[in-house]
Amino acid sequence: MKSLFIFLFPLTLFAHPVIYQGGVAVSSFNMEKLSNHYALYSFTPKFSAGAENWRFDKKDFGFLKANSLLYRKNTENSQGNLYLHTGYGTENTYQVGLEGDWETRRIYTSLKHLQFNHHRVSQGRIGFSPVEKSFNDLQVWVMFQTMVTRDETMLTPMLRFFYHNYLWEVGSSLKGEWMLNLMVHL
Amino acid sequence: MKFLILGLMLSGGVMARDIEVKVSGMVCSMCAQGIQKKFSQYSSIENLKVDLDSKTVFIKTKGEEDLSDKNIQEAIFEAGYNVTSIKR
Repeated sequence: MKSLFIFLFPLTLFAHPVIYQGGVAVSSFNMEKLSNHYALYSFTPKFSAGAENWRFDKKDFGFLKANSLLYRKNTENSQGNLYLHTGYGTENTYQVGLEGDWETRRIYTSLKHLQFNHHRVSQGRIGFSPVEKSFNDLQVWVMFQTMVTRDETMLTPMLRFFYHNYLWEVGSSLKGEWMLNLMVHL
Repeated sequence: MKFLILGLMLSGGVMARDIEVKVSGMVCSMCAQGIQKKFSQYSSIENLKVDLDSKTVFIKTKGEEDLSDKNIQEAIFEAGYNVTSIKR
């Protein structure tokens, strides 16, 4: 179970957990030992809920998730957010956490801490975009992720791509664990 | 002369309206897709363009149809952003 949590967190860290009102975020994540799928519906621009399923070592776990936007700061050239994560799942597993991010068109930063029943994970991300692209162009970001659990620290460099309402990320941890994230906003 | 006046009135009456909406916080293109989604509910819009450089949403309405400031502010808010100004 400990390993499960360690590998779970990259799945839910790569995009805002609450999107525009009426929007649905669908995500698929696949690693060598893990797959994850979720769908979240944003009832308002400040609240989303949905279902999440993931598989680790051929075992499935389900969650009912609810996320809240606690605070948002929009400025001319940046946006900052603070989110609350909550979830309850099979085998009486719960999750609660805080996530904050700040981004411009060239810089992305985020910090997140999630607390599970008997586990905790802290995670940080920083990224930059070499070029400012227009609204309809393909956007490319270079990202670095640090994840700290009770047992280890993992550094994962990756590439992030946006195109319209699609996002995908590819990367590999320094330990050689590949990562592929796919997301679409509907 | 009557036809000229009538023609001018008619041509003036069907001119599309151009609206420029300055938006704050619009830094992520994928997130800003929500702006297009939210405005797509309004049939009065002929064309909409999101410009991240100028942080502006350019709206062109159909013919005489208009879009109220309230509707614009609601759509931008539901997309997760704030309206800085609306210019018509």
